Amino acid sequence: MPDAQRHPFLQGLSKHRGAPPTVVVIFGASGDLTARKLIPAVFNLGYDNLLPADFFLVGFGRKPIPDDEFRQGAAAAIKEFSRRELNPDVWNRIAANTSYVAGGYDERAAFDRLAKHITAIETKIGREVQTLFYISTPPSVFAPILLNLGASGLASRYLGRRHHAKVIIEKPFGRDLISARALNTTIRSVFEEHQVYRIDHYLGKETVQDLLVQRFANAIFEPLWNRNFVDSVQISVAEEVGVGTRGGYYEQSGALRDMIQNHTMQLVALTAMEPPVSLDAEAVRDEKVKVLKSIQPLKVGPGGDVARAQYAAGMMGGKQVKGYLEEEGINPQSTTETYAAMRLSVNNWRWQGVPFYIRSGKCLARRVSEIAIQFKRPPGTLFAESDRFNLAANTLAFQIQPDEGLSLVLNGKVPGLETRMQPVKMNFRYSTTFGSNTPEAYERLVLDAMIGDGTLFIRGDEAETSWALYTPVLEAWAAAGREGMDSYAAGSWGPAAAEALVADSKHTWRKP
Amino acid sequence: MAEIFDALPGIEVPVGAITRNLAKMWEDTAAKGGPAPAADDVKATQVNFVLHLGFNTTVTDAVEQFQTAVLFSQRAPCRVVVLCPLPIDDPGTEMRAKIYGECHLGKSKGDTRCCEFVLLSYPFAARRFLESQLSVCLIADLPLFYWVHRFASIHRLSEYQYLLQRSERILIDSAIADLGISSFVWPRPEAVRDLVYARLLPVRQSIGQLLSGYEPKLLVHGLRAVAVTHGEKYLAEGRVLLAWVKERLVGCEASTEVSYDCRLAPTGENGVLKLDFEYTNGHCFRWYGDLERKNACIDADFGSGRSTMHIAVSLLSPDAALSDAMFF
Repeated sequence: MPDAQRHPFLQGLSKHRGAPPTVVVIFGASGDLTARKLIPAVFNLGYDNLLPADFFLVGFGRKPIPDDEFRQGAAAAIKEFSRRELNPDVWNRIAANTSYVAGGYDERAAFDRLAKHITAIETKIGREVQTLFYISTPPSVFAPILLNLGASGLASRYLGRRHHAKVIIEKPFGRDLISARALNTTIRSVFEEHQVYRIDHYLGKETVQDLLVQRFANAIFEPLWNRNFVDSVQISVAEEVGVGTRGGYYEQSGALRDMIQNHTMQLVALTAMEPPVSLDAEAVRDEKVKVLKSIQPLKVGPGGDVARAQYAAGMMGGKQVKGYLEEEGINPQSTTETYAAMRLSVNNWRWQGVPFYIRSGKCLARRVSEIAIQFKRPPGTLFAESDRFNLAANTLAFQIQPDEGLSLVLNGKVPGLETRMQPVKMNFRYSTTFGSNTPEAYERLVLDAMIGDGTLFIRGDEAETSWALYTPVLEAWAAAGREGMDSYAAGSWGPAAAEALVADSKHTWRKP
Repeated sequence: MAEIFDALPGIEVPVGAITRNLAKMWEDTAAKGGPAPAADDVKATQVNFVLHLGFNTTVTDAVEQFQTAVLFSQRAPCRVVVLCPLPIDDPGTEMRAKIYGECHLGKSKGDTRCCEFVLLSYPFAARRFLESQLSVCLIADLPLFYWVHRFASIHRLSEYQYLLQRSERILIDSAIADLGISSFVWPRPEAVRDLVYARLLPVRQSIGQLLSGYEPKLLVHGLRAVAVTHGEKYLAEGRVLLAWVKERLVGCEASTEVSYDCRLAPTGENGVLKLDFEYTNGHCFRWYGDLERKNACIDADFGSGRSTMHIAVSLLSPDAALSDAMFF
């Protein structure tokens, strides 16, 4: 919203400093995400003076927990997981307005109690407050929570006004296209789309936001950002860890559902989309949906566009580790992939013929998430003698985690009488330029939702478009069972099937 | 002013060899095992920052501002150039230079940020040569920010047109500036930022957040008078706060009949900063802060019942105010 259209008393203040009086209600308040991310995010927002003066935090969960115990648990979570040490002054202010409501997610009366609790807060402070519901529960209870928010009238509080209720929903947004549509139908039966904030924490990362800045605020990149100059794009979301104790969950998920369909596709969309007409949430999301719809259906099977694999026994950090099928809680005949790689064809004017290779997996050589744009080699034969000139392809790599930043590989002359060359790397690292104590993704996203900015959240049609692409792959894999399931040694960069996927076009996977 | 240059930290080097000596300084530090940038990427300078100390600066004050610049550089690694003019009647004819560097170690190995300071002492008569000398002390292609501190006469700034013209932002502190500042014709007024306004950010934010919860028409309906009361040391803050509130209320279409008043608080209430809206219809709004105790109380009643709120509030620290004035 242009500054001149804002309330006069907010003009001149950063939009993030104008959050209205807010009650944040966390469903799944005793869960892991709440302790690791949400409570520290609230604390750090308070530390940076970004919470409104009338800020209230309400935990909601099945387990009866006294207010004091909930507050103590929250303080302990800040001590353990916050990027900053617990500051008693800041925390005491938040804690004074922190409470807990116990109840079942399918218990209508519990939501009526929650509504009364919020009304009591308003009565106490003599002002209307917006409510921000944060659904941080297993997906199996998304529907009852949403329906009860609707039935109790909480979802429609102050609808049509600035203080209208909002809801943040954690992934997964469905398991396939049918379930994603069903979830969206439930959401839309209770909330209007503008009230809904589907969170993918990758979008809150500085480097992901920087991608838009690099693309559209620098005149040198955008003219090259197309099939005339780009040879290929590689997007990797690699994890070092295996499934650990989350085997039960992972068996129902797999790399495609867990990483590719959401995080990785968001990176694809931001990399490939056309310039939006503005930075308005709808303008950005319209462009993301357009580019996702341009991706051609994937061919599954030999010579196709997809590869899947499970990690086998190998070595991580010099130590032997088990294979996926030997992990606790894993079916020895499991058909769940721990690695997935895809070759995407974006069929539009800008990208036709440029392969987008994406991959994600567990137990890979290194934890790294990056987007690498490989440019075509320069034309002509001036430096074509391969034995004399070590000519590298120019590569622009955005490293999303760890060591956030970007690098550009150029060819430079080696000093000396003869013309010899060597690739040189120019680096920009966030931590050396801005320090590493930058806000965490959840801080940015919770605050964005509080002020009603949906730019960094996923719209319902985005989620459905992504599922429309991958559901046929999941169905084909389910039908094939273990047939076509490759394996790779834990600690490696992935299976041979993935290498074959890129070798067709004489490419190789990067080892970032 | 020579005593200021002598009092500030750094190693004196020939003016013609500043760059070479900066490189040597880091090499020597590294050789002794001290923290130093291993490569240029560790320096990762974001901005050029010129702190220009005026004739009204004392030694103690100069050291304090230098420390503020050091703290600021921890947030935004920068090349800081501190300009120390010699008094007009000083017989010195030569420029002198000092260099100084600091590295800040963060939580991770990659989080090491180093900044560099160049201090230039120059005879007032040599000010016309300053532009060229300054240009070799700055890092090319990076934005320039200019902090003007305690000039005896703000009109002397006219002598430094190249800094006024080229700086992204020009930072002044109206609390300590020469009174002539209000009549000074800035070549680019849009680049000028008042550090008093920046320091007031938490106050503006808490008032803005609360009042933005009400319709603008409701805020000005029946409004008769607005008063800011300030402790003795917060005269500038009081004046700037009142100007801001007036501008916001005009944006809400307040009547031109509304009176605006800035008052000094009684003796003993030194930390006070208060804002009162006086209404004819029973509504009320009061923001009472004690900036020394870092708290405030807000009373509001716009027809839906009276609410009182206690909040923590303090002015932004000097380095945070610099950051806000420069980047926002």
